[in-house]
Amino acid sequence: MNKQAESQPGHPQQPTHLPATSPLQAGQPPLLEWHDVTVAYGRRPVLWHIDLTITTPCLYGIIGPNGAGKSTLLKATLGLVPTAGGRVQFWGQPLAAVRPRLGYVPQRETVDWDFPVNVMDVVLMGATSRLGWFRRAGRRERELARACLDRVGLADLAGRQIGRLSGGQQQRVFLARALAREADIYLLDEPMAGVDASSQEEIFAILAGLRDAGKLVVAVHHDLRTAARWFDAVALIDMRLVAAGPTATVLTSSNLQQTYAGRLGILDELSDAVARGDRTS
Amino acid sequence: MMPLPGVLGALLPYNTLVVACGVAAVGCAAGVVGTLGVLRRRALVADAAAHATLVGVALALLVTGQRSLAVLLAGGLGSAILALGLLVLIRAVTRTRDDAATAIVLSVSFGLGIVLISGMVARGVPGSGGLERFLLGHAAALTAADAMLLGTVSVLVILAVAIGLKEATMVAFDPAFAAAAGWPAAMIDLVLVALVAVMVVVGLPAAGAVLVTALVVIPPVVARQWTDRLVPMLVLAGGVGLASGVIGVAVSSASPRLPTGPVVVLVAAGCFAVSLVVAPRRGLLARWRAGHRRGRTDYLLMTEDHR
Repeated sequence: MNKQAESQPGHPQQPTHLPATSPLQAGQPPLLEWHDVTVAYGRRPVLWHIDLTITTPCLYGIIGPNGAGKSTLLKATLGLVPTAGGRVQFWGQPLAAVRPRLGYVPQRETVDWDFPVNVMDVVLMGATSRLGWFRRAGRRERELARACLDRVGLADLAGRQIGRLSGGQQQRVFLARALAREADIYLLDEPMAGVDASSQEEIFAILAGLRDAGKLVVAVHHDLRTAARWFDAVALIDMRLVAAGPTATVLTSSNLQQTYAGRLGILDELSDAVARGDRTS
Repeated sequence: MMPLPGVLGALLPYNTLVVACGVAAVGCAAGVVGTLGVLRRRALVADAAAHATLVGVALALLVTGQRSLAVLLAGGLGSAILALGLLVLIRAVTRTRDDAATAIVLSVSFGLGIVLISGMVARGVPGSGGLERFLLGHAAALTAADAMLLGTVSVLVILAVAIGLKEATMVAFDPAFAAAAGWPAAMIDLVLVALVAVMVVVGLPAAGAVLVTALVVIPPVVARQWTDRLVPMLVLAGGVGLASGVIGVAVSSASPRLPTGPVVVLVAAGCFAVSLVVAPRRGLLARWRAGHRRGRTDYLLMTEDHR
């Protein structure tokens, strides 16, 4: 933390803080808290001293350039990559105690879409992942899976092999699989990658619905244009935390300058887009 | 009507019948386990395990002086698992790429096995003469008791897959999701690889160290051509493996100097070639026809409206 303070003069240290509408209630632990999290692949650190707190259910974007460690942060949060230091807490508890309350949507390209399963099979995996060893899907799981497919608008494609779906449909299958876990916190890794604009709107509408139902949705996202419009709050990350808080206050040109330093070519265009996005939202 | 075993019994000597049943079970189980192995992209790993079995088989004979199949196969399983452990170790502590590491373990352990066996044969170690059978398979040499052993292990492996299918599927499809949901994905993966190793070892008498991988890899690939669902794929792969095993035994028992392995592999490869061409939807013919019907420009959209 000290290191970060030295390297980041003038930037908020204990950020986040969400839409002022729901202040942190005294005595209640935050929904999700990263404390001094550092991750290294081998000897090479990819995330330094991340301190971040999310106190209220919201749509939370983790934004940054390629290679900034956004996905790594998500994976470290879920224990999929080891942390070199720091800790993550959910409702003040460690990961092991809260796994049943978490839903994860990995990056789409991490799986083999030629796998011999259909849409329903994949969503059922979400429902049955909550059962004990060797217990198979029963009627409850099937009904749940069907309801989740309905929510993402894929009910008529239930029997289709997953490779014969568009990118947006595949992403919605993944989302439905996470929904079938009936979680309280959803962590999504690039849910908009390879998804056309209208599907993006649909997916964000589903995520907003989750938020309105009192869930926390944290999504890794790389497109600044849409980030400004969709997320309630964001964290800007470039191997370390640059800034975090309500979207409008964080996506400033100076913060973006700092996050995307070295990628200046795209910066003007992006900040223009962000400004436009701000106006339309 | 005469019951089927009766008919076969009239045609075949008892021993051949038992061996055929044993190898059928081996082929079936190899196809079933191989389906999950191939879907998890473990074909090359299975091949490394297969080539590593020779060392253990030879050492088992050298150390115990026994040439019973159970002892030799136990040795083979030991060295196969050791090779897999070595593979994991190389990946963990060096920066060697996966495929290179696998190829190194495969060739080195196979070379070691060959050196051991030829050394033992040259020195006239008792029983070492039969070791070459483990190279290409020689099912005709199996006794009824051997075949029972192979069959029993195969049935147990199929049962294990049936019991753990939910877990295996979840991990094979998306290990990150399974791990995030709290499942011990690495451990489930390990069990899966261990089952593949067991089938590779049990398949040795049928196909030999050099070719047994084909028994684990080809039937699933054939089955995938015909179905888009996992359970039908498991059943079909089991069937293709079973048929390959039985035909291999039948042909090689008709011409005793022919090793079983090559015949088994050629039968499976025949199924593969046919499936590649004529399978509905995935077959070359079906894709060619679909391409013509839609025209080149629509071809890319095929994924969308092709139910």
